[in-house]
Amino acid sequence: MFNRRTILMAAVAGGIAMSSQAGAQEVGMSSTTTATPMASSLVPVTDAMLRGAGTDAKNWLHSNGSYAQTRYYPGAQINTRNVGKLKPAFVFQTDMLESMETAPIVVDGVMFLTTSYNHVFAINAVTGEEYWEYKHKMGPITTYCCGPNNRGVAVAGGRVFMGTLDAKLVALDARTGKVDWEAQIADPDKGYSETMAPVAVDGKVLIGTNGGEYGIRGFVKAYDQNDGKLLWTFNTIPDKGQEGVWATKDATGRDMHRDIDAEKAALAKDSSFYQTLGGGVWMAPAVDLKTRTVYFVVGNPSPDLYGAIRPGDNLYTDSMVAVDLDHGTYKWHYQYIAHDVWDLDAVSAVILTEAKGVNGKMVEVAIHGGKTGHVYVNDRATGKLIRFSEAMIPQENMWTLPTAQGARMLPGANGGVEWSPMAVNPKLHMVYAANLHQPMTYQVEAAAYPGGSKLWLGGSFKTIASEQQWGRLVAVNLDSGKIAWGVKTPQPLIGGVLATAGDLVFNGEGNGWFKAYDARSGKELWKYSCGAGVNAPAVSYMVNGKQYVAVAAGGNNQIDFKRGNSVFVFALP
Amino acid sequence: MNSRISHHARLTVLLALSALAAPVSAQPAPVGTPPEKAQACAACHTITGNSTNPAYPVLAGQTFRYLYLQLQDFKAGRRYHPSTDPSVATLSSDDILALAQWFSAQKPEPTGFMPDPVKVAAGRKKADEVLCAMCHHGGFTGQNEVPRVAGQHYAYVKKQLEDFRAKRRTNDAGNMTSVASTLTDADIDNLAQYVANLN
Ligand code: HEC
Ligand code: HEC
Repeated sequence: MFNRRTILMAAVAGGIAMSSQAGAQEVGMSSTTTATPMASSLVPVTDAMLRGAGTDAKNWLHSNGSYAQTRYYPGAQINTRNVGKLKPAFVFQTDMLESMETAPIVVDGVMFLTTSYNHVFAINAVTGEEYWEYKHKMGPITTYCCGPNNRGVAVAGGRVFMGTLDAKLVALDARTGKVDWEAQIADPDKGYSETMAPVAVDGKVLIGTNGGEYGIRGFVKAYDQNDGKLLWTFNTIPDKGQEGVWATKDATGRDMHRDIDAEKAALAKDSSFYQTLGGGVWMAPAVDLKTRTVYFVVGNPSPDLYGAIRPGDNLYTDSMVAVDLDHGTYKWHYQYIAHDVWDLDAVSAVILTEAKGVNGKMVEVAIHGGKTGHVYVNDRATGKLIRFSEAMIPQENMWTLPTAQGARMLPGANGGVEWSPMAVNPKLHMVYAANLHQPMTYQVEAAAYPGGSKLWLGGSFKTIASEQQWGRLVAVNLDSGKIAWGVKTPQPLIGGVLATAGDLVFNGEGNGWFKAYDARSGKELWKYSCGAGVNAPAVSYMVNGKQYVAVAAGGNNQIDFKRGNSVFVFALP
Repeated sequence: MNSRISHHARLTVLLALSALAAPVSAQPAPVGTPPEKAQACAACHTITGNSTNPAYPVLAGQTFRYLYLQLQDFKAGRRYHPSTDPSVATLSSDDILALAQWFSAQKPEPTGFMPDPVKVAAGRKKADEVLCAMCHHGGFTGQNEVPRVAGQHYAYVKKQLEDFRAKRRTNDAGNMTSVASTLTDADIDNLAQYVANLN
C-alpha cells in the first residue's frame, strides 16, 4: 500500500516521516488541564465480552466492531426516520494536529482514542472529559511511508494495546494509562512500523506490520496479553515457494502480461530476495473462533513497481490468507494479483459474513474490498473465490505494464478501496465500500534494495493533473456482486464506513462532511461539517440508554486532506 | 506537505547560524563536544566536518537523517569508497547515531569555491527544469533523507552525479540514478558549479 501524487513528494514525505526524533514523552495531562478520576464503571473486558461484541449495542470493543469485522452496530435507536435530528453531543480535541485514522474503542462509557505519533487518550464517552493521556516515547529511528498515523487500540482485561511508529507493541493500564509492558516487534531501521489497530483475542494480541515500501519481510505476530511474550510469527513471505503457480491472470481472469520465461530465468539466478519481498499487513485481522482461524490480507511486494528483481507470483503478497489462531500455521491463501507491479494490493480489512455460494445456498465467506475496485467474496473454509463484484470505479487499460516514461492505467495506485474498512448490513446482504478515483501513471525505475530505511518504490506513481479525482461510496449486493447503489463524492474517499441496525450508513469525506445514508437506497439523510477531513471510520455505542456515533476529524496525510485534532460525538437531542 | 514544524525550525536555525558565521571565520568553533569516534574522521573531514580537500564532502550542517543513512550504507557495503570504508565498517548503530548528530549540528563554512558565472546560470536553469528542489528543497538545503548539497565541494558533487549516472553509486533507491540518467557531461558540470556556489 503506497500512494503519492508524485515520486518527488513521496521521497520528500518519506524522508520527513522517517526522521522523527521525538523527545521524552510520558503519561500526563497538559499543565493547563486537570485530569478527572477514571470512571468507576470501567471494568475489565472479558473474553466473553470480546466474543459477543457483534451483538453488544452498549460497547464498541474492536476497531472494526467484532472479530467478524462487519462494522455493523446492532442498535437502532438512531435510524432512517430520526437521523436527520442528529446533533453533536461534544467534541474532544487532542493536542496533535495531524491525520487521524483512529477507530475509538468504547468500554462502559469510557472511550479510548489515538492520534498520530501514538498518543492515546481515555475520555468520558458522554461528556468528553479527559481521564488520561499517554504520549509514546518514540525511539530515535522511525521509518514509515504514509503519515505518522495510528488506527486505534485493542482492549482486553484491564489493558489497552497499541502498535507504535517505532515498531513496538505497548500495553497500557486502562485505568491509568501507565505502561504495563512493551515489546519490540521488529527493527524500525529495516523499514518496520506499526499503524494498525491490534486485535486482542483469547489471551493473545495479534498484529501485522507496515513496510512494503521499504523491502521488509511482512508478518502477523501473536503476543501474550499478560507479559508481551512472542507466541508465534506467520511470515507473509514463505521461506520457500514464493514463486507460486506462475499465474498469468488475475482473480477476475484478466491477463497480466507477465514474461514468465524471463521471470523463471531470473529466479534460477537469484532467489534470495524473499527476505526483502515486502508483504505488509495494514489492517486488523478477522478471527473465527469456531474454527480458530485468523484471516487477513497481505499488501504489495517490494519494490512496488520494479518487478524484474522479484520474479515469481510473490506469495503471499496481494492475497487473502488464513492461519491457525493457536500456532500461526498456514491454512490457505488466495492471491488476487500475482507479481503485482502497480501497488494495487490488498489492504482493507477482511470481513467475515455470509453470502450465496455458487450453488445458491448461503455459505460462510470472507470478503475483501480491493484497490482494484472489486469486492472479492471468498469461501471461508477453502479460500476459493466465489465471486467478485462489478467494478466500483472506472478501470482502463488493465493490466498495462509500467514503463520508464509512465503508463496510464485505471485505477490509480490508491484504489479502489484503500485501507478504509468496509461495513456490512447482514439483513440486507450488502457491503458498503469507500472508493477513490485518482488517475495515475505508473513509472518504473530499476533500483537495488537500499537497506530498509529509504523509500523503495522502484519507480513512481504520478497523478494526472488534467484528470479529475473523486470518490464513490458504493453498496454491493453480496449474493450477486451487483452494485445496489453508488454515491459520487467530490473528493477521493479514505477512512472507512459504519453500518447500523437503524439501516444507516455513515461515511466521512476529506472536505469535512460527515454523512448518513439510507442503507437501502443510498439517499443522503443527514450531514454535518466537521471543519477538517473526516478520514477515519466511525463507531457507535450506548451509554445510559442513549446511542452515540463518534468519528475522528483529523484529515489525511496520504491524500493531504485538511488536518484537524478532534473526535466528534453525535446523539439525538 | 507533511512537514513537521520541529524540522523546519531546526533547519531555519541552522541556516541562520551559517549565514551569521560565514563571513567571520574559516575554522568555526565546534558546537558541543565531539564524540570520540569523530576523531577518526577529522583527518579527512576535519572535526567540524568542514572538509578542505574537495574530494572529501562537507559533513557540517548536513541533515541528521542523511548522514545516519549514508554511514549505515557504508557499513553495510551499499555505498563504497576506498577512503571511508575502513573507519566506518566498525561503527555501531549508536556510534553512527552520535556521529550523525554531531556533524549535522556543526556550522557549514564556505568552501572558497570560485564559480564560473556562465556555468552557474546554466546549472540553475537545468536545476529548475529537472525540479531538483522538489526533493532537495529550495536552495538545495536538504531535508531529512534528502541531503543538503548547497555549498558542497564542486569536485565532490560532480563525482557523485557522474557516479549516479554510471550507476557506480546505487544506494539512492533509484531516485538520483533516475534523475542523473538523462544528464549530459555539460549538465553535470553546470549543476555542480551551481550548487557549489549556493550557501
Ligand atoms: C581517509 C579519508 C576519510 C576518512 C578518514 C573518513 N572519510 Fe568520510 N568520506 C571520505 C570520502 C573520500 C568520501 C566521499 C566518497 C565518495 O566519493 O563517494 C566520504 C564520504 C563520507 C560521507 C558521505 C557524505 C555525503 O555527502 O554523501 C559521510 C557521511 C562520511 N564520509 C562520514 C565519515 C565519518 C563519520 C568518518 C569517521 C568515522 C569518516 N567519514 C572518515 C573520506 C574519508
Ligand atoms: C526524486 C527526488 C530527487 C530529485 C528530483 C533530485 N534528487 Fe538529488 N538526491 C535525492 C536523494 C534521496 C539523495 C540521497 C540518495 C542516497 O540516499 O544516497 C540525493 C542525493 C544527491 C546528491 C549526492 C549528495 C551527497 O552529499 O552525496 C547530489 C549531488 C544530488 N542529489 C544532486 C541533485 C541534483 C543536481 C538534482 C537535480 C538535477 C537532484 N539531485 C534531484 C533525491 C532527489
